[in-house]
Amino acid sequence: MKFIRKLFTEETAFIFSCPAFLWEFLFLYLPLTALAMYSFFVYSPVLQKFTFSIHYYLQVLDTLYFRAILNSLILASATAFVCFIIAYPVAFFLAMRITPKYRSFFLFTLILPSWTSLVIQIYAWFFLLEKEGFLSQILYTLGILPQSAHLLNNYFSIMVGMVSCFLPFMILPIYVTLDKMDPELLEASADLGANRTDTFKRVIFPLSLPGVYTGFLLVFIPVFGEFAIPSMLGGSTYVFWGSLIVDKFLRARDWPFGAALAIVGIMLIVLIILSFVMIGRLMTHLRTIKVVKNKN
Amino acid sequence: MVEENKKLFLRLMQPLIVGFTYLFLYLPIIVMVLFSFNKTKVSVHWEGFSLCWYKQLFQTPEILDALQVSLIVALFATIISVVLGTLFVVASVWRKSGYLSYLFHANIILPEIIMAIGILSVFTFFQIPLGYLSLITGHTVIGLGFVIPIVRARFVELDPILTEASLDLGASYTHTFKKVLLPLLMPSLVSSALLVFTLSLDDFMIAFFCSGPKVQTLSVYVYSMIKGGVDPTINAISALFLLFSSLLVLILCSLRVIDQVMSHE
Repeated sequence: MKFIRKLFTEETAFIFSCPAFLWEFLFLYLPLTALAMYSFFVYSPVLQKFTFSIHYYLQVLDTLYFRAILNSLILASATAFVCFIIAYPVAFFLAMRITPKYRSFFLFTLILPSWTSLVIQIYAWFFLLEKEGFLSQILYTLGILPQSAHLLNNYFSIMVGMVSCFLPFMILPIYVTLDKMDPELLEASADLGANRTDTFKRVIFPLSLPGVYTGFLLVFIPVFGEFAIPSMLGGSTYVFWGSLIVDKFLRARDWPFGAALAIVGIMLIVLIILSFVMIGRLMTHLRTIKVVKNKN
Repeated sequence: MVEENKKLFLRLMQPLIVGFTYLFLYLPIIVMVLFSFNKTKVSVHWEGFSLCWYKQLFQTPEILDALQVSLIVALFATIISVVLGTLFVVASVWRKSGYLSYLFHANIILPEIIMAIGILSVFTFFQIPLGYLSLITGHTVIGLGFVIPIVRARFVELDPILTEASLDLGASYTHTFKKVLLPLLMPSLVSSALLVFTLSLDDFMIAFFCSGPKVQTLSVYVYSMIKGGVDPTINAISALFLLFSSLLVLILCSLRVIDQVMSHE
């Protein structure tokens, strides 16, 4: 009994950390590993056993599935790019032009829509864009669109939904890096004779790049895996990676193939994160070389 | 002269872009909320103010059931993830193995759909019926990904002398945890609990995969209704949902939790 009590006091920390750890392993890492294994074996009725094969991965290369993954990659990159174009001026404005007194109000109103349920945000767009909806009626009365124009179920409506749902995730990290920037750097740049454009190009923008990278990943990854937005705003015209996963796991019940698709998706995401880290390192490296050269 | 014009253009351009961005984010929501007070079912024509859709909302048992499911799941997921997450942070830092918390970064980074199929496959493999249990499990996995960084950020900031003093004075680990650490960690616990609660209420992906045939959360219910087309009752639920989550975000903002998460990403 004494031994047990001693063990308990000494190893309390270990015992405390166990549940969260177990939870994480049991419900995240273990199933993912199991799915990865599962996707490499094919049941052959002749031999009556599972044999190792990359059959499912070859199937992923099939035009239909390959195109869906490509679609997702393109959509995610396009959304991240559009978000960046809109987000940078907004973040710049919030960080540099607004007095700190009003900033929290602007930030609060910015975050608010993205913290309500995604489904509700999409429904709001659905309601606005729908065939007899508010926007098409207004555009019709203004004479811009003919009656009964389809604003839904096209690439445009998917992009609109994606950008409006994920824009704050691009604005916030850029805002944070701009906000943290030392104002003395800008003064130094001005003192050294740089005009506003030069200061932006040579000082502000390079220093805000980490925020841009973070924002890019925060937008790219969820958009890549998104399934509700394409299915509600895009109809059935476009097939994406997320909708394939839903189809294979919930409707077709073709789990090994679904697992192979999931693994391919995870690999792509990891690859993209890694390449971003590499690009970031390379950029800072090149910049240092440039600075050193200029000194000499 | 040209230079002057360019400057003026640039100066005006920025507020314009910001204005359009806010319009873009808010127009759909405002229109949706506005038409939840409309008298008729035909969505585009304003026929006068009425609360009939809200009345209907509270007379539909499915909606109330779904709301109940969402709240129960969010409550349990919040409690479990905050308790487990806090214990993990404290224990791993005390054991000087804080790097283990990087394992939990995957919960934030991976797309939710991946976590959803993971949980679906565990429950299918062990033949546990889907329902409350799978929903709470899934939301706890997501919650841990947020609780651990937030609590850890606060815990690392604390002066280690406080806990050392308590241990030197003869208090056991458990006693130190209860009397010294817990009160100090309270702000981060409250803010992470609110965050997990909001995330769990808003979640769609996990609920879509893991709710099973019998149990339905509010977001899945709204999704299935939308598939049937536009209906003013959905506007009404959405408006209420919006009100509720904006209250939660207001509290979160006043606790500055979002800054903490952002600086940690």
